[in-house]
Amino acid sequence: MTEAPVVLVVEDEADMRTFARIALAAHGYRAIEATTAAEGIRLAAKHRPDIVLLDLGLPDADGSEVTRRIREWSTMPILIISARGSEPAKVKALDEGADDYMTKPFGAAEMMARIRVALRNAARRSGAEPMGVVQLGEDVRVDLPRHAVTVRGQPVHLTPIEFKLLATLIQRAGMVLTHHDLLEAVWGPGHEDETQYLRVYMTHLRHKIERKPARPRYLMTEVGIGYRLRLEPQ
Amino acid sequence: MLLDARSPAPYPADVPHLRVQAALRTMGRYVAAALVVAASTGTAWFVFGAGDLADVVMVVLLGVVFASMHFGYGPSVLAAVLSAITFEFFFLPPYFSLAIANLHHVVTFGVMLTIAFLISHLAQRVRDQAEKARRAGLLAQTEQQRSALLSSVSHDLRTPLAVITGATSTMLSPQAPEDEGARRVLLETAYREARRLDRLVRNLLEMARLEAGELKIKKEPQPLEEVIGSALDHVEERLRGRDVDVTVPDELPLVAFDSVLVEQVLINLLENAAKYTPPESPIDLSAVASAGDVTIEVSDRGPGVAEDLRERVFEKFYRVRDGEGGGVGLGLTICRAIVSAHGGRIWVTDRDGGGARFLFTLPLPPSPTEATTP
Repeated sequence: MTEAPVVLVVEDEADMRTFARIALAAHGYRAIEATTAAEGIRLAAKHRPDIVLLDLGLPDADGSEVTRRIREWSTMPILIISARGSEPAKVKALDEGADDYMTKPFGAAEMMARIRVALRNAARRSGAEPMGVVQLGEDVRVDLPRHAVTVRGQPVHLTPIEFKLLATLIQRAGMVLTHHDLLEAVWGPGHEDETQYLRVYMTHLRHKIERKPARPRYLMTEVGIGYRLRLEPQ
Repeated sequence: MLLDARSPAPYPADVPHLRVQAALRTMGRYVAAALVVAASTGTAWFVFGAGDLADVVMVVLLGVVFASMHFGYGPSVLAAVLSAITFEFFFLPPYFSLAIANLHHVVTFGVMLTIAFLISHLAQRVRDQAEKARRAGLLAQTEQQRSALLSSVSHDLRTPLAVITGATSTMLSPQAPEDEGARRVLLETAYREARRLDRLVRNLLEMARLEAGELKIKKEPQPLEEVIGSALDHVEERLRGRDVDVTVPDELPLVAFDSVLVEQVLINLLENAAKYTPPESPIDLSAVASAGDVTIEVSDRGPGVAEDLRERVFEKFYRVRDGEGGGVGLGLTICRAIVSAHGGRIWVTDRDGGGARFLFTLPLPPSPTEATTP
């Protein structure tokens, strides 16, 4: 990258902004700061940042409102920052179009990793180049155009729905997908509330791909929110 | 105590019904007081006849005392009035009439009525005082618990804060260590204590939410495997270096539970195992279904929990040894509240070969085949 990517930080806590600014600068990013929802919406339009870090607990409006307003005109990645125990608020913001979330308190490493994943996904989306073969860790190889999956060298048969589920997660690898997102993407509109289906199919998929389905390395559950695909096991 | 706030409120339709019940109970007490008067009067009649008035008065007043002690103020006043009237009717000439023959007996009747009233009042005063003393006792107990809690929590919160303040202020001072290794140690200590503080505050907040009755369980049928996987992922860092053996049978049925809350139960049990057992000892996690429920077990190879403490460890702010593990004694209390809210139970027992087994159950819905069988 030739120019430093611009990150809009919408956060009312001065110390959190300081932490974000310093950590971002150390990794070669440039931070713009907003302290209210209104200012955040205004600065997003004015500066067209590469990514937005958005606190859910703003004084003037809630974060999902900011997400909704930005999504009216832009697909720029939005990363939610939220307190623990506010799953419904997170889900609401994610369903409004936010890309991912982090729970306070988080470290600089986690923040930078999430930003990198979001930027990578956004870059791929805008390039619209189709994904070919994707490797999950050392174990799983997914040939998207051919609908072929091999696990530890062995071909594995996935049903069309299982494959679509896996492919949807791969399209947004590293980022969370809400139950709602996945149901809509795989089963189509009108099925958004059939979470139980989704859970059963995820279980099947996990049993076909993971070595230990109860200790997954790739198909991670975000309890109360949705699922996240890890490309590299930790 | 924890669960009271969530016990289902009576349906509006039940309220008049309850009111009728309360009215019936009150009426019952008046009837009982009248019966006591009848019994004491009858006893006096059969034992003493109309002979010795002093003995009769004793027995009749005994009835008033009894009614005053057992049926409350209103019924005791009724007993006082009734016994004075029956006394006059049966024992003062002319007998079987409410008329009074001479002045002397008017005084007897008056004294009898006064004493009966005094007894009612005295009994009521004793009751009031007893109630006041009970409340004062409760208040004192709550106060004592509260101050014990406050000192325990403030100690637990201050320790990590002291370390963080100490470490960071050293880094900021002009005499900050030059040596990169020493600087790193200070920062790592501050970071570790900050994480600990986060866990403490998380448990305190969770407990406050549970106590405020804000626990809304959102039950959804789902595989246990998911929430087990996610809980293990959460505590990954703290379980490093241990063998964690997970046994979840493939055929385990879906269970209806609130995933966020049950994940919290698993995280607390796993964190406890990590805190109270030697660093490299193994931890086993398993789930098994039986007829009516699924039992989830987290077991370790640590020192175990002494038999007389197996209930106490679930009490609020109870810790086996103060200061050990760095918690505030809420983890298991939270677990129990969550499991009970799901209609399950949680307990600890000892393990063959040493260690503790923490087990909890989650009820299974009646299987569809059973439900549809005529």
